[in-house]
Amino acid sequence: MSIAAISAPVEHASQAARRRRNLALMLAPITLLLGIFFVVPLGIMALYSVLTPGLYGGVEWSFYPYSYGRVLGAPLGAGEVFDPVYLEILLRSLKMAFLTVLLTLLISYPAAFWVSGLSPARRNLAMFLITLPFFANLLIRIYAWMLILRPSGVINTVLKELGLIDKPMMMIFSEGAVVIGLVYVLLPFMFLPVYASVERLDRSLVQASADLGATPLQTFRRVILPLTLPGIIGGSIIVFIPALGNFVVASLLGGAKVLMFGNIITQQFLQARNWPFGAALAMMVMATVLVMLFIYVFKVMRSDQRTAGGR
Amino acid sequence: MKKTITGLGAAILLAWGAQGAAAEGSLAVYNWGDYINPEVLDKFAEEFGVKVTLDTYGSNEEMLAKIQAGATGYDIVFPSVHMHDIMAKLDLIEKTDVNQMPGWENIDKAHLLSKTDPNGEYCLPYAWGSVGIMYNKNRVPEIKSWKDYFAFAAENPGSVILLDDMREVLGVGLILNGKSVNSRDAAEIEQAGETILKEKPNVGAFSYDVIPLIQSGDMAAAHYFVGAMMYVLEDPENLGYVIPEEGATMYQEDICVLKSAPNKENAKKFLEFYMRPEIAALNAAQQKNGTTNAKAKELLPAELRDNPYINPPAEVMKKLQIFEDLGEDLRTYDRVWTKVKTN
Repeated sequence: MSIAAISAPVEHASQAARRRRNLALMLAPITLLLGIFFVVPLGIMALYSVLTPGLYGGVEWSFYPYSYGRVLGAPLGAGEVFDPVYLEILLRSLKMAFLTVLLTLLISYPAAFWVSGLSPARRNLAMFLITLPFFANLLIRIYAWMLILRPSGVINTVLKELGLIDKPMMMIFSEGAVVIGLVYVLLPFMFLPVYASVERLDRSLVQASADLGATPLQTFRRVILPLTLPGIIGGSIIVFIPALGNFVVASLLGGAKVLMFGNIITQQFLQARNWPFGAALAMMVMATVLVMLFIYVFKVMRSDQRTAGGR
Repeated sequence: MKKTITGLGAAILLAWGAQGAAAEGSLAVYNWGDYINPEVLDKFAEEFGVKVTLDTYGSNEEMLAKIQAGATGYDIVFPSVHMHDIMAKLDLIEKTDVNQMPGWENIDKAHLLSKTDPNGEYCLPYAWGSVGIMYNKNRVPEIKSWKDYFAFAAENPGSVILLDDMREVLGVGLILNGKSVNSRDAAEIEQAGETILKEKPNVGAFSYDVIPLIQSGDMAAAHYFVGAMMYVLEDPENLGYVIPEEGATMYQEDICVLKSAPNKENAKKFLEFYMRPEIAALNAAQQKNGTTNAKAKELLPAELRDNPYINPPAEVMKKLQIFEDLGEDLRTYDRVWTKVKTN
C-alpha cells in the first residue's frame, strides 16, 4: 500500500485527502457519541478516584490518592490502612471470570459445530432459541435459577422422586451456584462469535488435512483451532469482562456470602458512602482487564508473526 | 474551604429518571418500594384533585445519592431517622412547620427521634418497626432469641439467612456482645465482626429476598423487618416473627419535604392529610408496621394494635435501638463488614 501511495500521481493524493476528510466527517457523530457516553464518564470516574471522600457521599475537591493505597499498600495516609482483603477479592473474581470463560467455551464450541451442521431452517430455530433469553429481564432469569436450585426446587424434587438422594442438596447459595448463574447468563455471548467463525470454517481444508495424512487431533490443532481462534478470542473477551464485574448473580445465587469485586464497588456507593474508593476500585479492575488484554494481543501478534515467518 | 460537590458526572447518570412534572396540581412521592398503602395516595389524589406519582428506592443511600446528584422533581421523601439528620445537615430539607398544623396533637412525641429536628419543625414521623427474625414453624417450632437462631443454625448449617446490610448485621453482633448498635469504638465493632464471623459458616446467605424462601420452608429462619407480619398474619400456622430477647434494632422513617420540591404546597397538604388518624390507620393496617399516630393506633384492628411484635410493650421497647448517623466512623463498619463478607 505504501508503494502505491508513493507512485500515485499528485491529483490522486488530493483526492485521497478529500476522501479522508469525508470519512472523518462521517465518523464525527459516532466519535462524539462515544466521547460523551464513554470517555466523559470514565474521566469523571478517574478524577473522583483521587479526590477526598465526602462525609455523606460525593467528593471534596482536594487530592487524595489514599483510596489506592488501601488496596495497593501505597500511598497511605489520612487514616487509610492497607488491607490485603481487596486483592484477595480481585483474585477470586478473576478466578471466577476465567472459570466462566472456560465453561462457556466448553459448551459453545461443540454446540457451534452441531448447529452449523443443521439444515438452514433448524439452524435458524437454534439461533432463535439461543437468543431467546435476552427477551426476559436478567433478574427474572436469575430468580428462576433460585427456584430451580433451592432445596424444594426442581432438581432436588426430581432427584428425590428418583430415589437418588434422601435429603435435598444445598445447591443454592454456593460458589457453584454463582458459576452456574454466570455461565447461564453469559453463554450466548460466547456462542455467537464462536458460531460465526465455525460457520465460516472452510470444510474442504479439514478434508484436505485428513487426506494429507493428519490424525484428527492434528487436524484439530493445526487447522480447525487456528481458523476458529478469532471467534474464541472474541467470545472469551466479551464473556470475561462482564463476568468480572457481575454482582447480581453473586448476591442472589451466592447469597452474598462470597464477595465479588462488583459487590464491594456497589457497597462503597450504597452502604459505605465512599464514592472515591468505589471509583478507585473500579479503575483498578479496568486497569487489570486492560493490562491482560494488552499482554494477550501482544502475544497473539507475536505468534502471528512467527507463523508468517515460518511460511 | 473545601466544597462538597453534589456531583457533576453522577448528575448526568442519576438525574435522568427524576424529571417529574412540576405542573400545578401534582405531588411527586419518592418512597421505599411497597412502603405506603396505594389507597392512601389514591385518597389524597381524589380529595385534593392532585395527580400523585410514586417512584421507589431500595436504600437510604440510593435516595441520598440521587438527590445529591441533583435529581429534582420530587416533593416528598421518606428517609430513615439517621438519614433525615444527614439530609438536614446537607440542607436538603424544607422547613414545613408541620408541628403547627392541625393533627399534630395526634402524633406520639416519643417518635420525634431526629437529633436535628427534635420538635418536628421539618419532618413528620411516618412509621416504624422492629428488625427481628421471621421463621417457618415447620422447620423450627419456635425461636425466641438470637441464641435460638444461631443454635438452630449450628445444627442445620445453611438454613438461616441474615440481612445483606452492613449495619444491621454488625448491629446483631454488637447486640449479642451487649454493646450499642451505634458504637464508634473500633475494638467493639471488630469484636462484633468476630462474633458474626464465628457464626457465618452456618449462615446460608445474606439477603433481603427471604420471604418466598421462608414460606416454602427452603430456609428455616431469616433476619427480617416487621413487614414480615404481612405474611405471618395470613399464615400464622406456618410462619412466625419475633423480636429477639437479646434486643433488636428498630427503624423509623420520617416524611420530609425537599428543598427542591416543585409542589411544596401540595407536599405540606399531604403531611397534614397523613396526620389524620383514619389515614395513618389505613396505612398501618395494610403495612402491618407501627404507626407514629397515637389516635390511629386506637383505630387499628385488635390483632395489630395488641400484637406484641408490631406494638411491643414498654419493656420490649426499651430493648430496641435505632441507628444514628456515625459520620466518619462508618468507615470502620465498612472495613469490618468487608472482612466478614470475605472470610
